[in-house]
Amino acid sequence: MSDFSNALDVSISGLKAQSQRLRHLSENIANADTPGYRRKTVSFESEYGGPDGIARVQTSRIRTDQSELERIYDPAHPMADEGGHYEGSNVNLLIEIADAREAQRSYEANLKMFEQSRKMSSNLMSLLQK
Amino acid sequence: MLDRIDLFKTAFALARHSGARQATIAENIANADTPGYKAKDLQPFSASAATTKDASQIMVATRSGHLAGAHQASPINIIEARGRSTNPNENSVSLQEEMLFAVEAKRGHDRALAIYKSGLRILRSSLGAK
Repeated sequence: MSDFSNALDVSISGLKAQSQRLRHLSENIANADTPGYRRKTVSFESEYGGPDGIARVQTSRIRTDQSELERIYDPAHPMADEGGHYEGSNVNLLIEIADAREAQRSYEANLKMFEQSRKMSSNLMSLLQK
Repeated sequence: MLDRIDLFKTAFALARHSGARQATIAENIANADTPGYKAKDLQPFSASAATTKDASQIMVATRSGHLAGAHQASPINIIEARGRSTNPNENSVSLQEEMLFAVEAKRGHDRALAIYKSGLRILRSSLGAK
């Protein structure tokens, strides 16, 4: 029985981590046109610990992408410098969308495992019925 | 009482093994995007059955591999799954493979519970209960 609660627990941690990743991705996408915005990147790490020794997943500290900001030529922009350029964000929409799709797939896989563990334990419980 | 009957013992061992495998697979899937995570798996049920010490408790089979009897609830060892492809971030979880193993675990669990249930039914009818 505790195997199943471990399985549910781990699946939940996976769901949480993936949805947090999705949250940061949507922040990046929403700020794609914000001048000076650096895209946030988030990674995962296994959290060993506790007496059960199972590897829950959690998100690591958020880092910001230190690559060059895009320089956009627009002399009419209020933040433009003498040359008529201003710094945009370094968000690449293509990368963000692909990453979001991957997060969605992983989320679905975790959800499926949760569903299956639940079904297995409820089958076990139904042994008690006559 | 029920644990003295070989059939129940074997069914119990298989159900326990499948439950533990489900938990391990859930762990792998939750960590599918964790850099550096190595996929884990259990020893196959037939292998843990073969290590049963007491010779009198081995089921007699006309062909090897026909009956996989595990009478004792032998300790379940978690091993590192080898020979899996590795991603550039040194993660060796493949979602497709894990889904396949999850289905295996579910089927094993269902099979064990079905055997257990039918054994219970036979016992009940021998007691004259409806």
